[in-house]
Amino acid sequence: MRLKVCGMKYQENIEQVATLQPDYLGFIFYENSARNFDSKNIPKVNKSIKKTGVFVDASIDFVIEKINNHNLQAVQLHGKESPENCNDLKHRHAELDSAPYPLEIIKVFSIKDEFDFSVLKPYEKSADYFLFDTKGKLPGGNGYTFNWNVLNNYPSTKPYFLSGGIGINEIEDIKRFAKNKASKYCYALDVNSKFEIEPGLKNISILKEFKKNLSEVLENKKEKAMNYNVNEKGYYGEFGGAFIPEMLYPNVEELRQNYLKVMDEPEFKKEFDKLLKDYVGRPSPLYFAKRLSEKYNTKIYLKREDLNHTGAHKINNTIGQILMAQRLGKTRIIAETGAGQHGVATATVCALMGLECIVYMGEIDIARQAPNVARMKMLGAKVVPALSGSRTLKDATNEAIRDWINNPVNTHYIIGSAIGPHPYPDMVTRFQSVISEEIKWQLKEQEGRENPDYVVACIGGGSNAAGTYYHYLHEPDVGIVAVEAAGLGIDSGESAATSVLGKEGIIHGCKTLLMQTTDGQITEPYSISAGLDYPGVGPMHAHLSKTGRAEFMSITDSDAMEAGLELSKLEGIIPAIETSHALAIFKHKTFKPDDVVVMSLSGRGDKDLQNYIEYFKI
Amino acid sequence: MNRINKKLKEDKKLLSIYFTAGYPKINDTVSIIQNLEKNGVDMIEIGLPFSDPLADGPTIQDSSTKALKNGMTTEVLFNQLQDIRKTVNIPLIIMGYFNPMLQYGVEAFCKKCQEIGIDGLIIPDLPVDVYHEEYQTIFEKYGLINVFLITPQTSDKRIHYIDSISNGFIYMVSSASTTGAQSGFGKEQTSYFERIGKMNLKNPQIIGFGISNNETFTQATQYAKGAIIGSAFVKHITNKGINSIKEFVNSILN
Ligand SMILES: Cc1ncc(COP(=O)(O)O)c(C=O)c1O
Repeated sequence: MRLKVCGMKYQENIEQVATLQPDYLGFIFYENSARNFDSKNIPKVNKSIKKTGVFVDASIDFVIEKINNHNLQAVQLHGKESPENCNDLKHRHAELDSAPYPLEIIKVFSIKDEFDFSVLKPYEKSADYFLFDTKGKLPGGNGYTFNWNVLNNYPSTKPYFLSGGIGINEIEDIKRFAKNKASKYCYALDVNSKFEIEPGLKNISILKEFKKNLSEVLENKKEKAMNYNVNEKGYYGEFGGAFIPEMLYPNVEELRQNYLKVMDEPEFKKEFDKLLKDYVGRPSPLYFAKRLSEKYNTKIYLKREDLNHTGAHKINNTIGQILMAQRLGKTRIIAETGAGQHGVATATVCALMGLECIVYMGEIDIARQAPNVARMKMLGAKVVPALSGSRTLKDATNEAIRDWINNPVNTHYIIGSAIGPHPYPDMVTRFQSVISEEIKWQLKEQEGRENPDYVVACIGGGSNAAGTYYHYLHEPDVGIVAVEAAGLGIDSGESAATSVLGKEGIIHGCKTLLMQTTDGQITEPYSISAGLDYPGVGPMHAHLSKTGRAEFMSITDSDAMEAGLELSKLEGIIPAIETSHALAIFKHKTFKPDDVVVMSLSGRGDKDLQNYIEYFKI
Repeated sequence: MNRINKKLKEDKKLLSIYFTAGYPKINDTVSIIQNLEKNGVDMIEIGLPFSDPLADGPTIQDSSTKALKNGMTTEVLFNQLQDIRKTVNIPLIIMGYFNPMLQYGVEAFCKKCQEIGIDGLIIPDLPVDVYHEEYQTIFEKYGLINVFLITPQTSDKRIHYIDSISNGFIYMVSSASTTGAQSGFGKEQTSYFERIGKMNLKNPQIIGFGISNNETFTQATQYAKGAIIGSAFVKHITNKGINSIKEFVNSILN
């Protein structure tokens, strides 16, 4: 858990408390409080400490002014602020140029002996954290604890701060609480009045003692392993970030500042949903694969992304990004593609919107994937061969990035997977999350429950997987299986199994697992499936792998091809070879008869016909 | 005082040359450096080749690919440079992408640079904020100057931020482009140079990208402390060999 020390007031005292390295320091901007912070400046404290402004029903202008003046990274709202107020504040903050990172919003709720948790629901999207305080006469600082057992019924997965009357006498209670289920989402302890000599003046030695006695609890910053979503700096655990040349900074920064705001606009949502429905053909069916289930003696559901327009999940993302590009006033679209699926999906939406489209594709892939090259051209896109390096997907991505550097004003780069610099992995994941959003209600209809026992997807960069997992990431009873391409075998030297063969490093602007030499040169992967033939993996998946949240499996070319043929014969569905990798796990992993396994059928096999024909001599 | 800072104090316009280590031949590194110094170049950027150089155009991509094929690695480069300070006095900067440094170990890399007598680093894909938060103390511990890029799109506010973190010079990218992408400066660029000139930054600026001959060098140095030539030099030695360095430097300076 983290530590927040609240109600700081005096310069020297602030500096002293800062030397104890709490995670947050709180400053109350509320005239009626004895701890109202009225000095001109907050002294300089270590950057790792988040300065938090505490407000009670203050006006947005007032809050923004304090954020600006004091460089606050978080605000804690103690009054009757509505979810809309929180959103407005976020948006106003994002417009400040002094805002390097999104503002953290902590919404406070007061608890006595019981609490109606349904009041949290409207804040799920607008607040980053909840804070639970003791209900009493004052808005905070009442000096006694509430009954923490109430939190046994905490229905959310949002991390929360535990507050209210915590002092040196609560150390044993906290230790017990930390072992208890109720603390699962407890992100931080918030302390104040019990450490004071007088209001606003903290007793350093008692704080020090508290911190020392609780070191085990406080050093276990377990939400790192528990939070699988991106944090405010663009990291999933230790992976992610934006390692980009300065030339790209304005573009990526513009996107970062706007993507959540735009995706939140009702008009945007409406247009996105409508296109997914009328143009893409969503919702895609969740199909119970009866004969496949019989064969493997378990219950297998296939999420039919192959039935989408253009034949794969890729279009969910390109629809979202083209609308984003329009909102940002961009007129020229670039993309990279490997097998051509993402290139086709991008060319399609550009035709739909009448925007110029340039697709970079490795020279070797252009030769391997002639039908998709022809489709892109028919759709009006220009296909530019990537001639550098190994002339495949990674080089096509390099070329697209270079194009963006050379065209910084009018161009939007539609990345095709959950990779690249922040905010791309998160943005792509959110657009693809429609997959698991639908699975939830579809499974409820068919099985009477929203949560399957497993969700399974193949991983190239990880976009169909991210979308399939998204709404289940924080559901511990749902197992996550990620399937990578082993190529000719993990140890063959011809493989794309990044989670096994990769090491932490930087590729295409993010820190993640990637295949590389000991010298840090990125190596060329191999898989029979062009869509899985990428030397890295999205940062979210690197995190899922590292934390053990997902089970990673690798499937060879031959197992995948057999599984593709099997699905064709058993269910009358010819899958893309990428998808065939996911299907092949049933040969290697045994599920229980009553397990419900939902698999993303990410694409159809039309594009791979030639490969199947040659492989099976059909 | 760091050699870069000393050099920047000299009352002249500076010519800095970039080349890719390990190209055209794996063992050309030392002789290229010595020749550049001998012929009046003020500062050198030694390119540590990378498999995926995002900010570079075709010329430097190509020299990097060939250098890697020739067997260039971080270790090999450090070995080649081991005794460089016995013969060379001008500032030496290593320019490379971040991943190879990360794999070598950032601290080990910096330590080795100090041992050899490298004065600074240019790492295009290490953003200033990450440097500031995670690596600045390490770089400073080993006396290295880290150089940041700015472009015509960089906001004034960010330029001031970059200026505050820098302690050598600011690498002013002449236009929104990868390396080697253009020739000659138009009105748009000169007004950008002027705009930056008027900002009274604490660090002097050196202009790079798109400088290829005497004309562009002269033009750039009207607005800045110096200029950096990369692709044009790499092209020159590709065509004429490393024995023609004198010819190249003379063509720029006269
Ligand atoms: C059908 C299909 N599935 C999966 C993938 C792999 O991409 P991702 O991991 O981003 O879902 C691709 C990529 O081209 C694909 O076409």
